[in-house]
Formats: sequence, structure tokens, C-alpha cells
Amino acid sequence: MNRPSFPAAVIAATLALAGPFVGCDDGETPPPVEAPPVEAPPVEPPDPATVEFEAPPPPIPRLTNAQYRNSIATLFGDDIVVPPAPTIDLRSGGLLTVGAGDATLSPRGVENLENAAYAVAGQVLDPDHRDRALPCPADEAGCLGQFVETWGRRIWRRPLTEAEITRLVTVGEGAADVLGDAAGFEYALAAMLQSPHFIFRRERPTDAAGGPYDGYAMAARLSFLLWNTTPDDALLDAAERGELTADDTLRGHVEAMLDDPRARDGLLEFFSEWLGLDALDELRKDPTVYTAMSPEVAPAARNETLTGLEELVFVEDGDFRGFIDGRRTYVDRKLASIYGVRAPAREGFAPLEMPTYSGRRGFLGQVSFLAANSHPTSTSATLRGKFVREKLLCHVVPPPPSDVDTSIPEPSGTTRTLRERVAEHLDNPSCAGCHRLMDGVGLAFENFDGLGTWRDTDNEAPIDASGELDGTPFADADELAGLIAAHPDFPTCVTRYVTRYGTGQVEESGQREMIEALSARFVAGEYRFTDLVVDFVMSPAFRVAGPVAAADEAEEQ
Amino acid sequence: MLIRKGSGITRRRVLRGLLGGAAVGVSLPMLEATLGHRAFAQGSFPTRFGLFFWGNGMLPERWIPNGEGTGDDWQLSPQLMPLASVKDHITVVSGTNLKTPNEIPHHSGSAGVLTGRPVLIKSHEDQTFGAPTVDQVIAQAIGGETRFRSLESGCYGGGWGGISHNGPDAINPPEFSPAALFERLFGPAFRAPGDMSAPDPKLALRRSVLDAVTADMADFKRGLGAADLARLDQHLTGVRELERRIARLEADPPQLDACLRPDAPSSEYPDVEGRPQLLAKNAVMCDLIVMALACDQTRVFSHMVTRPLANLQIAGASDGHHQLTHDEPDPQPQVDAIVTEIMTGFNDLVEKLAAVPEGDGTLLDHCLVLATSDLSNGRLHSLTEFPIVIAGSANGKLRTGMHYRSPFGENTSNVMLTLIRAMGLNAASWGAEAGYTEDALGAIEA
Repeated sequence: MNRPSFPAAVIAATLALAGPFVGCDDGETPPPVEAPPVEAPPVEPPDPATVEFEAPPPPIPRLTNAQYRNSIATLFGDDIVVPPAPTIDLRSGGLLTVGAGDATLSPRGVENLENAAYAVAGQVLDPDHRDRALPCPADEAGCLGQFVETWGRRIWRRPLTEAEITRLVTVGEGAADVLGDAAGFEYALAAMLQSPHFIFRRERPTDAAGGPYDGYAMAARLSFLLWNTTPDDALLDAAERGELTADDTLRGHVEAMLDDPRARDGLLEFFSEWLGLDALDELRKDPTVYTAMSPEVAPAARNETLTGLEELVFVEDGDFRGFIDGRRTYVDRKLASIYGVRAPAREGFAPLEMPTYSGRRGFLGQVSFLAANSHPTSTSATLRGKFVREKLLCHVVPPPPSDVDTSIPEPSGTTRTLRERVAEHLDNPSCAGCHRLMDGVGLAFENFDGLGTWRDTDNEAPIDASGELDGTPFADADELAGLIAAHPDFPTCVTRYVTRYGTGQVEESGQREMIEALSARFVAGEYRFTDLVVDFVMSPAFRVAGPVAAADEAEEQ
Repeated sequence: MLIRKGSGITRRRVLRGLLGGAAVGVSLPMLEATLGHRAFAQGSFPTRFGLFFWGNGMLPERWIPNGEGTGDDWQLSPQLMPLASVKDHITVVSGTNLKTPNEIPHHSGSAGVLTGRPVLIKSHEDQTFGAPTVDQVIAQAIGGETRFRSLESGCYGGGWGGISHNGPDAINPPEFSPAALFERLFGPAFRAPGDMSAPDPKLALRRSVLDAVTADMADFKRGLGAADLARLDQHLTGVRELERRIARLEADPPQLDACLRPDAPSSEYPDVEGRPQLLAKNAVMCDLIVMALACDQTRVFSHMVTRPLANLQIAGASDGHHQLTHDEPDPQPQVDAIVTEIMTGFNDLVEKLAAVPEGDGTLLDHCLVLATSDLSNGRLHSLTEFPIVIAGSANGKLRTGMHYRSPFGENTSNVMLTLIRAMGLNAASWGAEAGYTEDALGAIEA
């Protein structure tokens, strides 16, 4: 594929992690990207293991709702019905997994967690499942203790202390006295499932003053990153054997985990969070304006995006820039009708090489992007542009100032297209700084209506989709996709989001060189997404924790 | 200290017996609180607090009533006209301004009015409330006597966690499903007045599990940093509340004449052709809230009828509500109709409270319900001329049937301090920084 090329050196020049990235606070457009130096010598990317790096203290994430559900399935089997998720997820730094580090359980959440614990425990110990759950005959002396020890290690992702086992056995014995032996297991299990040791992740470094995470911490970090669920017995056993802390054995485990089918669902969660695909759950369109709108559209759009990513990342192991500028996608009849392309011969999804006449390239030509970043009855250049800036290029777009008239003039004889109507944004100095960043990009997609269907005109006036991205002109959305894929901030931005997702924390200035190094390797390795993940996991960014300023110690001093 | 009529044994003995004397450290939280509950003293009913919240504000020129004072000295404005049947039971406060900085549209206003503080900005894309919201401040003081310390409900949330907060990032998520709200309040765990059946022995076992969880919590908290410690303390608060709820369920249900287990809702009110059934869904949620109060299941509620920034396309509207506030040409007849519809929903709640007899009056007389939003004029994101309607006299503490117009743009926090005091809290101040006040709004106090 023909891509404009930017050497790695440009990346460092445009990366400004110490402060915000390209922003608009000063009302200025960002400086144009310098033309690449001619025939720059290839630069060996720095080794992430040796760059300067300040490890953040370990986060204490609360399981996300998806992680909670997945963990129950991993622990007890797919046939256990999981009641509604305990509480809401928070989003921080654009990701639920980062929000998890701020999230707690409200009183309502604690109530739901309790209900869920008894519902799950009741099923796990019902006559159909009990044999699977019990490590010994129920009436055998000491079986309750064995049960607690076995399940405690799985549920709390580490071996239990003697005191913890005793506490849980005592709960179980109390229940067994009142309701019979079977209830003993049930109440002990319910107690494990309500414990903070389950619902919060406490991953510890080997040294409280900071250093490499211990084996069990690594098992949990790997499992939630790659599979989005709690570690299984094999991974916990590997942790116990020290295989998750040594370089060579760790690499083997990471590669095996990525080859495991569970990695597909696991990493698709990353893409879903990064791209905000959950917004499709709330997709509302006026069916009188968008007659193609139906309840099937949102799930189909999500499936198109995730199937494409799964193929690109796991099947082809292809160049990740193809996500933005590739033509291959997957459509069903509903999407084909919206896109105006030939429908698959059979029900369901089929691969499609998006024809050039469709004007669509990559994710930014999909309903998942076009409709989710529009209004119920109209497009939004601002929302679309904001998405490109924030999610794909990691440029900072502050919220609009208050007490300014935010209205867009109605279409009239002289201002018919959205471009003409939002010209105000670009003339008013208090709006222009940010809106030029957003609208300049967002107007490129005006040929796609609020659902994502092609149109040539807006209020019967022809649409001009041209513009410039940080100094480089483009004619339409097709060309813009190529510029974004080639933008030096794109690989850095992907790396930043992977790092955020995998550490559960928003990167800070002490991690700048690490991200630059990982991004440079991503670029040098021709944008293989799984290589980026492996490099990240093997790096100190994933494996090392900084010191915690413990509140209780501070009090004692 | 009888826990069950005729049983003749104490609760402590029940637990000892149940658990075979094992050293499980079963606690009996709030036992004393269970004792005095029940029928309210003759002619004395507790004051309940409610918050009715909607997103995207109003249109000041269509909202502010004509005239000031009481009785016929003032007339309802077009957007408040739906409240005509309860005009004598409401007080409209106009002309106050939120003084908290207006940094992030919709967030600054909702945090400002409900906490009296600036929104807490975590990063350019993340913010939260810096302190507990007014409903939770009140619940901390008066919520301890009921099964639910507070109740959060709503009609449309879509991606917004909720407005009720216990502190930064500690959101109390509303229940948006009528069936789930019914199940939670009036499902099998509910005991109607006169139900004298023996308490479920599983309640004591659940408490012993929560004791183990509490002990785990103490272990878990060791060595945490301050911010994470605060999160775990929020979790622990939830565990404590669950313990209290179990104690409530072990006690006899209150003898309240107006309390009847309602019928289960027959519908979830899904969108029809992409449009919400706003008033129908609101009506059934209000039925459940009112009966939760009448049955003394809670004394504090917050009902988020629509979220800040809500972009629902309400029946008859050509675009989503939020979008219309920005794009509809003046005088914004569609925005006007939507605000009027939301006030019709508020009227529904107030009328239902007024329809429940309690003692010599009605449930509404023993309520203080605040209706407010995330800003005033949506197009401008303005925080001046903040929308405030109060329903109920809070057991005679507040004047009703009144329009008070602030002559000099008083701090909206003054209203909040007045309300908190009317709820019986001995508060010296409300809010912080620019939202801080020590001044109540004497004009609306009885």
C-alpha cells in the first residue's frame, strides 16, 4: 500500500508527553508536521528495558463488569448464570480499565455483589454442579478446609493465609450447623465472592518499596490484559513456579497466551474500550430521517469493526495502519445496504473489499465511527473531528468555554452545508483554536450522513470534504484516512492506549521515554499489533511497580 | 430486648444458637436503632427528602413566574404551568446564581448545585464531583432508620453514571428499570405491615459472611495509599449499610396505614421508534418512590428523570433534547415543550405525594422535594438564574405557595443551606470556595 512515510525521528519531535500533546489552549493550530528529511538513516529503536523509566505505584483496580462476568465464567463454567453486574463502570483516560482504578462499590454495588454471590454459590453447589466444585466428599472431615484452600487460590488469585482459611471455614461451619453440610460450602464460597480480595485487584511487587511484580501479580496482570478474565489454574501454577517473572519463560507464556483463542475476546475488549464501541448500545437515530435505522444496525456495526480487527491482528498479523487506511471489511446485508455495496450472497457477515467508489477506507468509513459520532438527526463535524484527534492521534481537545452561544445557524439560502454553518466556530477567536482542530478534520466526513450513508449534497448544496491535517492537504475522507495512518502521532497514540489499558493508569511524564521506545519498536517492526503487546508486556512498564505512600504508615510516623 | 413477638429469646442468643457458639465475632450493628422503629409517634411523621433532577436546564424567559410573594401575588410561568394543581404546595426560587466556576458545561452546574463545590477536574477528559451530593449529606444524617439509607432512580441515564455521589468517583447508580426497582423495594424481601412471620434464619448467616468480609477489608486496607483507602472505606460503608438492612428485615415491619405493596410494573417502557416513553415511565417510577416513602423503606430519594446532556428525542421533537438547546432557533419552541413535559413529570410526583394521607395531612406535607437541573439556559450553558422548585413544606419548616425572586443574584448555595437546615441538620455552612455560604434564605423559611 502506498503510504506517505515519516521516519521515526519525526515521532520524537512531535511527541510532547511532558505537557499535553498537541493542544489548542493557545487558540493556535498545531505546527505543521515537518517534511521528512531525505533518506534519513535507519534509527535502531531504543531498548525499552534500558530507557529511563519511573514506575507508577501499583493501581488497585476494581474488576470491571465485564471482568467480573468473565471471571465467574472462568472459575465456574459458562453454564453458571451470572446476575446483573455489581455496579457501574467508570471511564478514565478514555478507558474503563483505567476508570477501574478510581472506581469503588457504592452501597447499591455492595448489595448487588451480595445478591450475585449467593446466586452464583447456589448454582455452583447445586446437585448438577457440586461434583465439579468439591475437591473431596462433602461429608469427609476437613473437606470444607480443602474446598476453601482450593477455591480461595483461584478466586483471590493467590494462595490464602492460614488466618484467611480459618475465617472462611468458620463462616462455612456456622452455616452448616444451621442449614446442613452443603450450606457450609455455599456460604464459604459466597464469602469469598464478596471479599475485597476478589472484587479489587491487589497486585504487589516483590518489595513493598517498589520493584518487579511478584508471580501471582503477573498472573493476574497477564490474564486481565490478554484474556480480560481471572487467571486459570495453569497460569497460577506457572506463577508459583516462578515462570512469570523470569524473561525467557515469561515470553513463552505471553506468546502462548496470545495464541490461545481467549486472547481474541480479551484484546477485542481493548479495542472496544479504546474506540468507545459501547456508545453503540445507546445509538439513537430518528427513523424518519434515517429510514435505514433499525435495531440491527448497532450490533452489526460493532461486529463489523471487531471482526475486522480480529482478522487484521490475529489472522493476518498485518500492518496495524490497515485498520485506518485498509479497504478490507466485513458486512452483512444491513450494512451493505447502508454502504451501497453488493450484499453478501448469504445471511450473516462476509468479507468485502470496499470498492473505491464507496469513498470508504478503514474504520473511519464504518457506521461504528460515523453514526456513533453524530446526532440523532444530523452529522457532527465536531464529534467526528474530536474522535480522530483524541482517540487516534492523542491530541488534547479541552471542553468548550462556558457562557458562549454554541448554536449553529439553521441552513439558509447562503449557508446550506454544515461547513458554511460552522464557519462561525472558526471565525470566533474563543472557539477557533479548538474547533479548527476538530472541525477541519470532521468536515472531511460530511459525505456520510448521521447514520453513515453516502450523500453528495447537504441541503441540496454540494459537499466540499477537503481540508488539511496538521499542514498536509487532503481532498476527501479517503485521502484523510491515508494521512492519519501515516501521521507520526498515530503509532504513539496506539502505544499510549495499550499502555494505559495494560497498566490501568494514564501515563505520566516519567513514562515518556518508555512509550517512545515501545512506539519506535512498533514502527520499526512494521506495526504488528501483537508485537507491540509482547514488547509492552516484556518491558518494565508492565512488570515493575513504584513505591506506595501507605496512608497507615504515614499516620504511624 | 425482644426481636420477635412471642419468641422469648434475644437476638444474641439466636445467633449463638445458630452458630454453635463459634468465635465468629458476629456483630449486631445498629441494634438500638431497630428498637424505636415503628409506628410513628402520634401525629408525628419524619421529614423525607427528595431530589428531582433533569438535564439541560430551561428557558429563563419562559420559566420565571410573574409577580412575587404568595397566593395570587404571583402566577405560574408557561414552563411551570403543569404545576397548577399543586401551586399552593410549591415554592419557586428564581434569580439565584451558582457561584461555582463554570469550567465544564453541564458538569460544573450539576456538581455546583448538588455539592456547592466546583467540579473536580481529574484530567482534560475526566471529572467527578468533589464531595457528597446534598441527598447523601442528608442521608448520612437521617437515613439510618430505614431499610434503604437512600434510593436512587431515574428514567434515562445512557452513559452517565448518576448524579448522587458519596464523594469523588463514588456514584450511587440509579435504577432505571421499573421491574428491578419494584423487585428491590417490594420483592420477596419486603415485609408488609402486619407481617409477623419469624425472620429468615439465613439473615443471621448473611451477617456472619459480612463479618468475614469486614475482617478481610481490614487486612486488605493495610499498606494502601490514601486515595485507595478512601475507595475501600466507601465499600465498607456499603457493607455496613447491608448489615443495617438485615437488622431492619429482622425487626417487625412498621405499622403504617398508607403502606400497601404495589402491583409489579407491567412494562419496562422501551423506546418506541427511537423515542422514549418519558412520562409513562416516569409515572411508574414515581408510584414506586412514593410507596417506598409511605412504607418507610427510605426517607431520602433522588430521581434523575433525564441525565445532564441527555439527548433523547422526545415525542414530537425534531432532534435530541441537548442538540435542540444548541441548534433550535429562538424562541426554541421545542425546547420549551420538552421542559414543560419534564415539569409535567414533576407534577405527577408531587400530586402522588399529596394523595397519600399521613396523620392529619399528607405525605407531601412531610416531604421536601427539590427539583433542579445542570444549568439554566442550555444554549449558553449558563449558571445564572438557576432553576429551583421546592415541593412540600418539610413538616412546616418551609413556606409554600410562594415565588421568591432574589433581588441581587444570591448564591444558589444559600437555597441548599436552607433546605439542609429544614431537614433538621445543624449545618453552619454549605459548599466550598466560590460556592461557600453561611447564609440561609430566610424568606422561604416558615
